[in-house]
Amino acid sequence: MAVTTFENLASSDITTTRTLLHESIPLTGTIISGTYSDLNIKNYTHGQFQSVYDYPYLSSSANHIFDISIGFDESSPLSGATGNLQQDKKINMYNQFSQVLLGYTGSTNQVRKFELDLTLDNSGVMNESLFLNFSRLITKDQIKKGTVSVSLGTGSWADPFGNVKTLTDASASATGGTLNTLGGDYGLLYSTDNVARGLVFYESGVVVLSTSSFDGVTDFYSASAGTSSIAQMFVSSSITASCDALRHRVQNISFNNSTEINSTIYFCRVPHNDYNHSANPTYLSASTIRVKSVNTDTPIAYITTIGLYSSDNELLAVAKLSEPLRKDPTNELTLRVRLDY
Amino acid sequence: MSFRKFGQNDVIVNTMRTHPKSEFFIYDGKVYYNDKPNQSGAFSSQVLNVPPGHISLYEYNIDRAAGNNPLIYPFVTKGSSNIGFRTMTTTEYVTGFEYGDIMTGSYPFSASITREYMVQAGTRSVDVNSSTGETFAGAPTYPHFYALKNRLNFYGTLSEHYKVSSSYGDKSLQTINLLSVPSIFFGDKIDPGTVSLKWYLTGTLIGELKDEKRNGELIQTGPYGSTGSGSVGGVVLYNEGFMLLTGSWALSDVPLHLVSGSATAVSASWRYFGAGALDNVTTGSTSTTYRSASFNMSFKGTNDIQTVTMFAHARRGEVNYSNNPTFLQYGQTQVENTSSIVYEENSSRQIYNSVSSSYAGYDADFERQVYISRVAIYDENKNLLGIATLSDPVLKKEDEDLSFKIKLDI
Repeated sequence: MAVTTFENLASSDITTTRTLLHESIPLTGTIISGTYSDLNIKNYTHGQFQSVYDYPYLSSSANHIFDISIGFDESSPLSGATGNLQQDKKINMYNQFSQVLLGYTGSTNQVRKFELDLTLDNSGVMNESLFLNFSRLITKDQIKKGTVSVSLGTGSWADPFGNVKTLTDASASATGGTLNTLGGDYGLLYSTDNVARGLVFYESGVVVLSTSSFDGVTDFYSASAGTSSIAQMFVSSSITASCDALRHRVQNISFNNSTEINSTIYFCRVPHNDYNHSANPTYLSASTIRVKSVNTDTPIAYITTIGLYSSDNELLAVAKLSEPLRKDPTNELTLRVRLDY
Repeated sequence: MSFRKFGQNDVIVNTMRTHPKSEFFIYDGKVYYNDKPNQSGAFSSQVLNVPPGHISLYEYNIDRAAGNNPLIYPFVTKGSSNIGFRTMTTTEYVTGFEYGDIMTGSYPFSASITREYMVQAGTRSVDVNSSTGETFAGAPTYPHFYALKNRLNFYGTLSEHYKVSSSYGDKSLQTINLLSVPSIFFGDKIDPGTVSLKWYLTGTLIGELKDEKRNGELIQTGPYGSTGSGSVGGVVLYNEGFMLLTGSWALSDVPLHLVSGSATAVSASWRYFGAGALDNVTTGSTSTTYRSASFNMSFKGTNDIQTVTMFAHARRGEVNYSNNPTFLQYGQTQVENTSSIVYEENSSRQIYNSVSSSYAGYDADFERQVYISRVAIYDENKNLLGIATLSDPVLKKEDEDLSFKIKLDI
């Protein structure tokens, strides 16, 4: 249908809004270790990290949900320990994460170290770390601050969830409790005894866990009590085996993600004396308006569609009403057209 | 890092047209899409959490169910932007929630073909004016038919068979078998000439409709010599994804129960094609003879994908420096002098010689070379728009020209 009249949109008729859409993401430990007999766990020949899928990864239905790795700083007491397996890879992995997430410091451009505080002043340094790198599929634009919960089994190897430590970022919110770094905002993960035991980088979707959560666990990665603490694992186990051990102790992970929906709203104003006629071929019958009984009746039109045009009258978009709106000279309408992107 | 401008012939925009094939097999009240069998998981009876024959948008809640592996779900806080979920009515939105309340939705979103069996498609209810006692035509019994009437007449220029009223009869008075295909299966439009509908009775093909003229007419093309061969059994709306079947001739004399809630057996015809495709026709609503019938629907879609191809050139004598800290030899002093009034960097720092030597214990002669690992695309205001990362870093020597071809779907 040809458009015969256009209404100019003034700048006051256009406004923009931003809304946050969230999703609740529960990742239960049985998926991470158990249900699929590790068919949903992908290991690589490079041995630098392990990928976790939500279903056996040979199925086309499977989604990658996160990667796991471990690493320590070269200044860690574990560095250079006798029998250290994949030491270079573990140091590189730590440096890789810290470079990307924290950046460099000092005149010699030293790679920063992870710290269990929000100061980055070289205090509370976390020399050994476990990394959970979540997929963009589930973190979307960012993890919602204050919603992260990680439950870790700190019991024996045979019964890891006999004792559970839950870490949350309850002190972080959209307005505070975080620090902005190269990798975006990060917050602290506290256990219920109010001790910081990890970090969460919201925009990057990375959780960095301290080994302190497992202090006192002497059979962290095997049933051999006394000889398989987490420190011993960092020295004598490969990254892949260490990831297996960590998965064995993840009871639950949950967080909410956020997606920004930007909208432009156009207020299309229909004056009382305009748009009371239609160019629709069915509007007329034998050259008379169908909806008028006698010629003294006021004209009536039914608005079904709004076209948005560019300044040179090119049709850019069409908005459809759920049902036609009656328009006659006795009423004025303001139609709100929202465009999400 | 230096910037290079794209030349006149370095950026190409073109359109790639794809034709995704869709095939549906309908049997015993179930729909199978592209021969995918039902896949059960450890937690849910359907891994994708949608019934067979459905597409799951996002394919998100894989093998999840309430309980041990709960579902991912969306939520939004009611605010001044008035954003809610489309499944919510305006009344629910206004009266059910205060500002600041959380409104939850649910996944997965799914889509599949549906069938609507319309006996005398133009039927309307008869309403009575309570004050005068006059009767008048009320709401349509099959509103989808009324919604399609304008489009059917519009395509009447392609074939008379489209028209609601023509020399082939009045569709308002006919029984119509409407098959609806959501656009997620075909994209922009169904590709003309690719539609095929096959009617099987106890596994034997008894009729096939094809749009071999590409004008929307669904013509019976097989089996050879079958009743109605060469006749038009219906039409297809390519752009909208609808098929309207009106062919009423019997394809077989075997009585079948194909109408929900009806004890009367009917002969196989195109009116009953697809019985069981989300139309409440099941063995329970008919009879076991219904299981003798099975149906196959296939077509190709049309989907245009715009692509931008960019050629980024690294000319000889250019792009020979890296800002990577490891590009320079390790252990050199970076700052020569620094004070409150002077900051002077060490101007004689050495580049690390990364030239590979063929011999152990012997360093090859120094050459200027870099390994290119990424190409970044900027707009005219030097805003970073995207990064193309190479699968392996490419060695660039000083006397070499390299071109990187970057393709982006838009």
